Amino acid sequence: MVVCALLLAAALPGAEPSGLEVSLAPSPGRLTVQLAANREVPGEWSRALAGGAPVTITYRLRLFRNRRWLWDQRLAGHELVVEAQRDPLTGIFTLIARQDGEVLASGHAATLEEAIHWVTHPPPAVIPVPLRHEPLWLVVRAEYLTRYKLLVIPSTVGTEWVTRAVPESP
Amino acid sequence: MRPWRRAWERYRRQTRFLVIVYLLLMVLAGGAFWLFARLRNLPPEELTNRLLVFLLWWFDLTLIAILLFMLLRNLTKLGLERYHGVFGSRFRAKLVISYLVLIFGPTLLVFLLSASLLSHAAASWFSAPVEEMATQSTALATGLRLEAEARARRAATLLAWEVARAGEGRAARIAALERLHRLRGHQLTGLWRDGAVIIELQDPRAPELRRLTPLDATALSSSGQRSERAGGTLVVRAWEVLPDGTAVVVGEALSPELFAAQSRLAAAGAAWEQLKLQRTAMTATMVLGFGGFALVVVFAAVWLGLHLSRRFTAPLLALVASTERAAGGETLEEVPLPADDEVGLLVESFNAMVRRLKEKEAALRSAVHRLDTVLHAVRTGVLTVDAQRTSAEGNPAAAALLGMPELASRAVPLDELAAAGNARLVEALRTASGPVRGSITVEAGKVARALELAILPLGDAGEPQGWVVALEDLTQLLRAQRQAAWSEVARRIAHQIKNPLTPIRLAAERIARHAERGGEDFASVASQGCSAIVEHVQAMQEMVDSFALYARLPPVSLRPTNLGQLVRQLVALYDGLRPNLHFRLDDALGEEEVLVDPEQLRQALANLLDNAAEASPAGGEVLVSLQRSGGEVKLVVADRGTGIGSDDPDLLFQPFYSTKGRGSGIGLAVVQRIVADHGGTVRLLPREGGGVEAVVTLPAQG
Repeated sequence: MVVCALLLAAALPGAEPSGLEVSLAPSPGRLTVQLAANREVPGEWSRALAGGAPVTITYRLRLFRNRRWLWDQRLAGHELVVEAQRDPLTGIFTLIARQDGEVLASGHAATLEEAIHWVTHPPPAVIPVPLRHEPLWLVVRAEYLTRYKLLVIPSTVGTEWVTRAVPESP
Repeated sequence: MRPWRRAWERYRRQTRFLVIVYLLLMVLAGGAFWLFARLRNLPPEELTNRLLVFLLWWFDLTLIAILLFMLLRNLTKLGLERYHGVFGSRFRAKLVISYLVLIFGPTLLVFLLSASLLSHAAASWFSAPVEEMATQSTALATGLRLEAEARARRAATLLAWEVARAGEGRAARIAALERLHRLRGHQLTGLWRDGAVIIELQDPRAPELRRLTPLDATALSSSGQRSERAGGTLVVRAWEVLPDGTAVVVGEALSPELFAAQSRLAAAGAAWEQLKLQRTAMTATMVLGFGGFALVVVFAAVWLGLHLSRRFTAPLLALVASTERAAGGETLEEVPLPADDEVGLLVESFNAMVRRLKEKEAALRSAVHRLDTVLHAVRTGVLTVDAQRTSAEGNPAAAALLGMPELASRAVPLDELAAAGNARLVEALRTASGPVRGSITVEAGKVARALELAILPLGDAGEPQGWVVALEDLTQLLRAQRQAAWSEVARRIAHQIKNPLTPIRLAAERIARHAERGGEDFASVASQGCSAIVEHVQAMQEMVDSFALYARLPPVSLRPTNLGQLVRQLVALYDGLRPNLHFRLDDALGEEEVLVDPEQLRQALANLLDNAAEASPAGGEVLVSLQRSGGEVKLVVADRGTGIGSDDPDLLFQPFYSTKGRGSGIGLAVVQRIVADHGGTVRLLPREGGGVEAVVTLPAQG
């Protein structure tokens, strides 16, 4: 029993192994998603940002309907793209967050740390949630950039997919 | 319509092809929609990169899929053909595998080398000097700004100290600011308090300073600086806050030329950083593009290899298939494959060979037909027996001779042939180890037939491929010969009897005539007549005895005999029989023993010596020689007489035939019979220099 308990404890996932914090605030017909990427950004990403190249972090939000006997049905997919670019002449970081192509928020940062914090803690995204009878799941991931393994095989650098049950609206 | 067009039209109308095209288009449309939906929010550069990588990936994957499908299909087909033993599959499999090894090996090697080179080339593009230059350009742009900010900050500090010394009155401070602005030549100076401008002095030669963003109160709560783009250049403002909250602001604008250069440097640095982010994508794009090109080459080479393997092997396989069909019993046909290379020459040579074979086959068929006709027409029976001597078939004459009509239509087992009264023939067939000639009697259909037999092996005598038997019906011939012989015997007996009958009749008539006359000489006449009659009757008695001797010759009794000694004794007996006649022996046989019947052979040799002695003139010599020649013993009796005296020497061996005008004429006949019973031959040959040589050849069975 002790051994089984130890094995079970070892098999349980950690608190936030994915590197992405997801906070959900439901409201009627809407769901406010607050994201925070805790994973350290890749070095080439931060160097490119400091060098003046535009960089982005793409947060992919997918809403699934949990069907008991069938596979989960994908209801909607959203993208929250946070872009940052430093103006080397002024030293100011321009920050823009777009949800599904629409500007959600923008801002400026004076330092690299502020800019990184801004893009890793983007403004909350509000997504529509349909009325349903089955439980809903929100699957979220943050993508920093794309690398290529063995020269040609694309590999996305980002956090793990995080799944959260969508709470009922009050 | 051209052939390829017809083939395409025929292929295009196949339902399977239409379904495949439909499914392919559907997949392509779905993929395009998915791709568009996925990439619509990307910036143009990223979209281009991703789209290019995506298209290259799909291009490569499609080629790989097609290539694998083609290879698997052909290899599976070849494997199945080889498993089922389809002719030519082994050759094609070897050819295709050789092609694949020759194609994939070098191409894979070249691809790996090229990918490595591309990767290293991409790394070399982002070399350290370029990286340093790009970094330093960005640092330079930043440094210029920082220096301008520091300069503005120092000026703001100095002006704040001067303004503070002027007192706390607004007018005094404004006056001091105006004085310092003129004195120090700043482009922008001003006093701010609580987020509002008290006074701002600008250099009229710097129009870019006219529409600056107002400084907010929060920023002015403590000393600081700000850089911003304005009027096509960079404007730097720094402020120093006095104890009473008044902020002294100093600003300057960089020259547009310097700012433009600075912008270009900064843009180059930013572009460089962005390019570095896309380095792996660029490498992947190049490798994928080159991989796609290599795949196209491999695809074309594989397709060409498969096509050429079919093209090369098709004429050869057609040739071999034709020969296989011919080996299976079908007619050898020409191969109608047009080709103008060496394979074409081979096909043409094969077709020429087929034509010649057909001509020869026609000639052979004609010859066989003629032979068949002849065999059907001749009265000689011909049998063919298989190599195992189990069955035989023959022509109609053989079927009639052997009393088995089915012989002419099918192969009849020899046992069946033997059961039909041909046991002796079958026995002769089964025991023959080489060519055999002889006579046998068969009783086919309860009719006795005398057949002359000739058995010949087909092919190699040591291992014959079969046997041919020729049968000649001698029944009628023997009957006729027998009748002729009896007629000849009757004639000769009549002749032999008639010769003494005439003198007997004359003697009897003379006695009778003298008896009628009753003369004194009757007794003398009667005595002479009776003597003559008795003499002739005695001659007739001797003649009859010789007949009996010829008829009663017993079977030979062979036993080892010293033939030389036998001949020496006989020659010694005859030597001195007549004066002036010598018998000489030339014995080369010595003491060797031969398997003969000594009594009968002594009788035959005595007859030959009698004839030689009678034929030899006075003072002559009879030479008897004895020698061995191979497997035979040759005995020659040579005289110097008048010669053979007949055109046909064989007649001399017939009974009752004589050229001497006396004797029974049975001596040579007895000699021939005895020699023949020993398995030998006897011939009369004219002797060189005159005379006759009687040559007796006996098998030398020791």
